[in-house]
Amino acid sequence: MFSYALSVMIFLPILGGLALFAAPVGRGAARAIGMAIALAVLAMGIEIFLGFSPVGGMQHVEHRPWNLSLGISYSLGVDGISLLVLMAGAVLFPLVYAVFTTRTKGFYANLLLVQGAMIGAICATDLVLFYLFWEIMLLPVFFMIGIHGGAGRLPATLKITIYTIAGSLLMLAALIYVGVAHQAQFGFWSFAIADLAALNLSGGFTVWAFFMFMVAFAIKIPLFPFHTWLPDAYTEAPTSTTFVLSAIMAKIGVYGVIRFVIPVFEIEFARWALLLALAGVAGMLYCGLAAIAQKDLKRMLAFSSASHMGIIALGVFCMNVQALTGSLFQIAAHATSTGVLFLFVGLMEERMESRQIDEFGGIAYQAPIFATFFAIAMLASVGLPGTSGFIGEFLIILGAIKFSIFIAVLAGTTLIVGVCYMLWMYQRVFFEKSNERTAQFKDLRLAEILTFLPVILLIVAMGIFPQAFIGKIEPAAQLQVAQLQKGGESGGIAASIDLAPSPHNHKN
Amino acid sequence: MENTATYLGLIPLLPLAGALVTGLLHMLTCRRKPLPELFYGVVGCIGPLLAFFFALVLFFHLKGMPAEERFLSHIPYTWFAVGDLRVDMGFLADPLSSLMLLFVTFIGSLIHIYSIGYMAGDENFGKFFSYLNLFLGSMLILVLGNGPVVMFVGWEGVGLCSYLLISFYSKERENVLAGNKAFIVNRIGDFGFVLGVSLLFWAIGAGGFDYLALQANAGSLTPGVGIAVCLLLFLGACGKSAQIPLYVWLPDAMAGPTPVSALIHAATMVTAGVYMVARFSFLYVQFPVAGSVVAWVGILTALLAAIFGLFQRDIKKILAYSTVSQLGYMFAGVGVAAYSAGIFHVFTHAFFKALLFLGAGAVIYALHHQQDIWKMGGLKEKMPKTYWTMLIGALALAGCPPLSGFFSKDEILFSALAHGHIGIWLVGVVVAALTAYYTFRMIFVVFHGQPRDQHAWEQAKDAPAVMTWPLLILAFGAFFVGFLNLPGLFGGGLRVSHWLAPSLVESHPHVGLGVELLAVFAGVAAFVVGITLAYRKFGKGATEPEYRGFARFAYHKFYVDELYNALFVQPYKAFGGVISRILEPKVTDLPVRLSTWLYRWAGNAFKVLQVGYVRVYALYMVIGLSLMSLILSQSIN
Amino acid sequence: MIQDYLILSIILFSLGILGVISRRNVFTVFMSIELMLNAANLAFIALSRLHESMDGHVLAMMVMAVAAAEAALALAVVILLHKHKGKLDTNVFSLLRG
Repeated sequence: MFSYALSVMIFLPILGGLALFAAPVGRGAARAIGMAIALAVLAMGIEIFLGFSPVGGMQHVEHRPWNLSLGISYSLGVDGISLLVLMAGAVLFPLVYAVFTTRTKGFYANLLLVQGAMIGAICATDLVLFYLFWEIMLLPVFFMIGIHGGAGRLPATLKITIYTIAGSLLMLAALIYVGVAHQAQFGFWSFAIADLAALNLSGGFTVWAFFMFMVAFAIKIPLFPFHTWLPDAYTEAPTSTTFVLSAIMAKIGVYGVIRFVIPVFEIEFARWALLLALAGVAGMLYCGLAAIAQKDLKRMLAFSSASHMGIIALGVFCMNVQALTGSLFQIAAHATSTGVLFLFVGLMEERMESRQIDEFGGIAYQAPIFATFFAIAMLASVGLPGTSGFIGEFLIILGAIKFSIFIAVLAGTTLIVGVCYMLWMYQRVFFEKSNERTAQFKDLRLAEILTFLPVILLIVAMGIFPQAFIGKIEPAAQLQVAQLQKGGESGGIAASIDLAPSPHNHKN
Repeated sequence: MENTATYLGLIPLLPLAGALVTGLLHMLTCRRKPLPELFYGVVGCIGPLLAFFFALVLFFHLKGMPAEERFLSHIPYTWFAVGDLRVDMGFLADPLSSLMLLFVTFIGSLIHIYSIGYMAGDENFGKFFSYLNLFLGSMLILVLGNGPVVMFVGWEGVGLCSYLLISFYSKERENVLAGNKAFIVNRIGDFGFVLGVSLLFWAIGAGGFDYLALQANAGSLTPGVGIAVCLLLFLGACGKSAQIPLYVWLPDAMAGPTPVSALIHAATMVTAGVYMVARFSFLYVQFPVAGSVVAWVGILTALLAAIFGLFQRDIKKILAYSTVSQLGYMFAGVGVAAYSAGIFHVFTHAFFKALLFLGAGAVIYALHHQQDIWKMGGLKEKMPKTYWTMLIGALALAGCPPLSGFFSKDEILFSALAHGHIGIWLVGVVVAALTAYYTFRMIFVVFHGQPRDQHAWEQAKDAPAVMTWPLLILAFGAFFVGFLNLPGLFGGGLRVSHWLAPSLVESHPHVGLGVELLAVFAGVAAFVVGITLAYRKFGKGATEPEYRGFARFAYHKFYVDELYNALFVQPYKAFGGVISRILEPKVTDLPVRLSTWLYRWAGNAFKVLQVGYVRVYALYMVIGLSLMSLILSQSIN
Repeated sequence: MIQDYLILSIILFSLGILGVISRRNVFTVFMSIELMLNAANLAFIALSRLHESMDGHVLAMMVMAVAAAEAALALAVVILLHKHKGKLDTNVFSLLRG
């Protein structure tokens, strides 16, 4: 692969999006352009994935100084931690263009912008650069929800705006603090993550800076209790935006914690991990319980997505290699399964003009292929072995036991909670008797089958041959955990518990 | 040798491939022109039959090896490896799994064949065979998996198929609800299973996470962790094998087609919990406390389910509670560390319970989906083949010597006595009497006496050959398989127990002939008492009695379903409602609402100052300038 | 000696401000502004005398020129306002009200 691959993956969509804003083309042409760019990015993503060597460090590194006086640099790279997030950003976008055909030119332009910015945020290894892409990534989302959203789009847009702006400002302040601290300790300015990792942060304000970062990411993940923007935004946004938000953007929140918070604040992180883990499981339970009471299918999936994000976040806070790898794997698994579920709901809304669970029924008889695809994605989402959802969930629970039995027991209930609302929904939507609305429902056309089939196959393949993915991310996770344990030790926190006095236990 | 081991990977793959083919074809064609049933039937049966063939090959291959070396393992690839955790997608054939393999594929094949007749005319014929094949494949993964995680794949897979098949007639809400219940209750068990497995990994899993490595490292387990692991795994077994407190799903599971009840909810899947405990015998044997819990839960479940079975009116529900009760026996067996006795009962039970279910299916088929025994009666003349085969099944279930059920049940009760669990033995004997009673209550009411529904009776006849032949084969098995494990008392050599010995960690305490005779005598006496009572009450025709007092309480199954509904389901839903209607908008949403409210409030507050008169703005300017001058003059001085 | 001139200038300026703030007639407001300008002129002249330089004088001349120009412009505006509303009460003109 040529050496500017990442830059191309970032700026091809961004420049394409800007050009699309200016260019006088129709919506069909806009969609075709978007699709072409997304496919090009996908091809490069696959190339990167296949050529990725399973070692700990950064690959495809690009580095050029940008603002010398403040030590800001344009530096990019991919390692095991960002690989699967990057792949999610590359693999899933073509689906959006393929499934929904009726959006305007501006929408597709926004979509391109958001993809480029996301890939930028995923690949940035400089904190300021990351922040820049992070902000650019949020902007198109406001427009997509605010202009193209559903009936209640304005309050939803206001809510997500307030939340994300608050988070961004906190992150900016904390970022400045970190930069200043680096200058004070080492005598030169730098925001490169490798330099910041060497920081020895202590003192009263460090806790504040840590939490400012954490809150910014917690809002994006979203971590309980910062999740309230999510149901509204996910429900009111056009489905393709919901898809982007849930499948990729939420993951960048988790990714940000792993990439930036853990290396910089390893001591504080180890100290507060239990609290954060509690927030993770609390969110999982809370949103899981809320999901069962929803009448709107999309809103139910929104809560379900938030519930799963709680578990993914928990894996990060457990601070051992199994849980962290589980989280990284689950990021990709959840992106595919929940993302596809959202697309399916969008499809149903387009064809039946309703999202109310009560108004459906018996779709399985009208559309066996659609029902089967939906069921596979749903089963992956509840973590059935043989699908992608199981591996990550199992690893996270396994790691959680090492971290805290109490947390693990709570986390284990995800097995039960998820299946309750999903099965009940599936019963009311796909089984029972069909009505006038669902009797009209047409099964997937051949083109649609071919669109979804790769993702469905990916869900199954990730469950049966996960080692192809885990093998690439595990070395980076090992490195990260080693760094953390160093922090945990110097902070004097014994975060792990011993189950048996066997010599194997202390290896990781 | 190496070739034989690769069959291990092939055996589960065959039914899975069948499931894929039939499932895809059905999915693509069902909306247009369905393929002929015969096609699905043949394709659906090829997988199980081939699997049975390979299972036989494997079994005889193992048999030809020296007893202590009977382990074949095949590891196609590493499933996932993170840190010390390494999980191989591996399969293991040893005496225990090969025995399970043999009867699962055998009974599975028979029931596939039977289903060709039973499901004839159903619009989802292809789907049924796809699910059934998927189930068999998952069950074979469960049995052949070489470690707890691979076992869990099959474990969840069979749970999924159970769900799909219970809610097979998905247009009726009750059927889907029964399916949901089964899946959710099973998931509660899986919660325990996953936690137990994870705990086991951190304790002794770093040196390898398959059974053989775990067994080698099991010595270093501390009692606290060990007992916790055993109990958590048993929670998983409770879910899958329908034991207290998670037994509630199995009676409802009878909503599925009858072959499904026979295959999944009687012969194979529900015994997975027993298999799992036997598989982990090296753990349970170390911690007798955990074993005792298993045994007591088992025998109490046996008692409770037998009591419920006395009063049921749905023929399939009687058999369902009987299954729960027999599963309780099996757990009592493995709980008192008589693993081979428990597994042997799994083995014999598979034959006679599958037989009874398929027989009941033939009756239901003949009576056009009538399941109420109080609307049957006198079918003996009309359906002789069904009657005689079911009678053999009933006698085996009731523990009539020398049928298979007698030997296996006797082995369990004898082991309980020999290991000093007098209480369990006593309850077990009572349950044996109850079993004989409710089994023959069913037989007498259904087949003897006068027909209660003349019209249906006249139309009733034996099922077609594709359904009766499996019945005959199973009846043969239900009669004779007990002799495979004839105890020394009757001149046999406990051949099944010896075959299983290399896989299990168990001890055979030596007791006198008196104890052995006592056990046999008590078993026979319980059978005689039960069948006599049943004959006196129902033998010559009876009408449905009115239930009062305790009987009424038991008829309503002690209101356990209602209790669970009130304790768990309703609060769960209510809590969800509270969150989405009160907590979510009013509490967690508060910060956002507060911030917008603050903006508005501040805007309104400052709006007052904006009067619009230039001279007032000038006044503000003067005030501001004056204050500035004041502050400046202060700071200069 | 110089203080007296400056105090007088401040008093005149304050009177001007008071007029601008409290009076409603456009002409009175305008005259008050003129008063403030002249108070400033007085200060310029006094300080110019104190520092013995002509800078203050120059500025004072400039202010007078500006005031004359302003008066011409302002009177035109006042006539327009009167044409528009028919009144010379400043309370009528409150388009800036929040």
